[in-house]
Amino acid sequence: MSALPLGARLRRAVALVAALWRANLAEELQYRANFVASLFSTVFWLALAVLTVALFFRQTTSLGGWSFWEVVALLGVFNTLAGVVEAFLRPGIGRLVEDVRSGALDLVLARPAEPQLYISFRRIDIWRIADIVLGLALSAFALAHTGHLPGPGAILAFLATLAAAAAIIYAIWIALMSLTFWFVAVENVSVLFDAVYEAARYPASAYPGALRFLFVYLIPIAWTTTIPASALTGRLRPAAAATTLAVALAALALTRLLWRTAIRRYTSAGG
Amino acid sequence: MTWLRRYAALVRAAWLVDLQYRAAVVIWLLWGITEPAISLGIWWAISAAGPVAGYAQGDFARYFFAVILVNQLTLAWDAYYIDRWIRNGEMNFRLARPMNPIHEAIADNIAYKLRTGGMVLVLWLVLAAVWTAVRIPVHPGRWALAAVAILAAAAIRFLNNFATGLLGFWTTRVLALLDLQFGLGLFLSGRIAPIELLPPAVQRIAALTWFPYTLAFPVELLTGTAATTADVARGFIGQAAWLALWLGAYLLVWRRGLRHYGAVGG
Repeated sequence: MSALPLGARLRRAVALVAALWRANLAEELQYRANFVASLFSTVFWLALAVLTVALFFRQTTSLGGWSFWEVVALLGVFNTLAGVVEAFLRPGIGRLVEDVRSGALDLVLARPAEPQLYISFRRIDIWRIADIVLGLALSAFALAHTGHLPGPGAILAFLATLAAAAAIIYAIWIALMSLTFWFVAVENVSVLFDAVYEAARYPASAYPGALRFLFVYLIPIAWTTTIPASALTGRLRPAAAATTLAVALAALALTRLLWRTAIRRYTSAGG
Repeated sequence: MTWLRRYAALVRAAWLVDLQYRAAVVIWLLWGITEPAISLGIWWAISAAGPVAGYAQGDFARYFFAVILVNQLTLAWDAYYIDRWIRNGEMNFRLARPMNPIHEAIADNIAYKLRTGGMVLVLWLVLAAVWTAVRIPVHPGRWALAAVAILAAAAIRFLNNFATGLLGFWTTRVLALLDLQFGLGLFLSGRIAPIELLPPAVQRIAALTWFPYTLAFPVELLTGTAATTADVARGFIGQAAWLALWLGAYLLVWRRGLRHYGAVGG
């Protein structure tokens, strides 16, 4: 398969993912009540998140230099990326630990499809795409309140940094999930992501010294939401945007390397 | 005596199971710590310029450290298990045992909380050695009262959670109910901010629910915010009332639920 030219390999990958998602869609459309339940839950959590920010702003006029509506716009980005996780990552790569434990990974490896691609995107939770839409809507609503609507350049920068943030989050998931090749008893390793991602609810600049160091440099999770939201609120410097894109590319390359190392280690249950 | 032996065996078994899943236990612990730590970070930054509603930076630090400890010791998760047991039929063999499954759940709680509560306590002591802001006044009498309040809070949350889980005998939307309670609890129990920082109307609503008695009251007892005899008495009376209420709710749902469940299966 690697003998094929890059263009053909990409076309094949897209065709594979499209076929998987079509089957997935046909299945999910049978459970439309789940959509309403999922929508209610998203709106509930979004409302609580906005109320939390409102509680902070009863005592202050800015959080790390961000106004109330700017923080709400960031919350929209937070919800959008959370939607990416719930719709695309948790149902696919998030099941890797269970696959290794049960031996189902052997069946995947025996398939002619590229395993990392197949494992990552075999299944999506279609209803959670609503989280992405609602997050973007919240950001738009909040931006309208700030009175500074972003221009086309800012929107382009937003989309590029949002995609970069999604790529970084994907890399974090691959890294976390690959732990299972070394330690089998980590069935809740995805909770580690949930715990750390909580920090991305607020602008990175809002955290005091020690926590900022932790979330900005040690586990750079705070950037995933702060950078795209900075693009929307006119804070993003070109250098920061370029760095984010470079970090995303590096993260994807590292992910590929990690995956290959991990899969080479994998000797199945009998090994 | 028989019950003591039974419980010793159950707690030992649960302790050994947790030992097998050390990494998983540490991950759950981290999950419990990050959210209060993030709230503390934000309040710390907000109160940098001066105290807000009487809370200075150090007060927030002590408050949220106590929140981490009390929350760890009062966590309730059994409804998630019960929901699964009812749906996949595992409930059946649990009912076939000669003991109410609630005892296994209580033993599981004791084992898990002894381990993780101990870990949080050690973490707090280590941090307190280097960071004076998180030191709480040495006051054995008040600590003893706080221990009782934490025990009562754990019992309220446990019975509330267990009874909610048993609603699975009738509905498949138990998880949504749990989410709703969890979300309201974030505000009303004092997880996101001390209750005094909530808008007055929300404070009045909180006072009508069991939420403040499950977290805010033991936390304020521990940090010394609830210091007057009237505060302490009011807290314990509220805990006693809600404990009785949720115990009654559990007994009612358990008895009715079993009859209902039997009718479906029979």
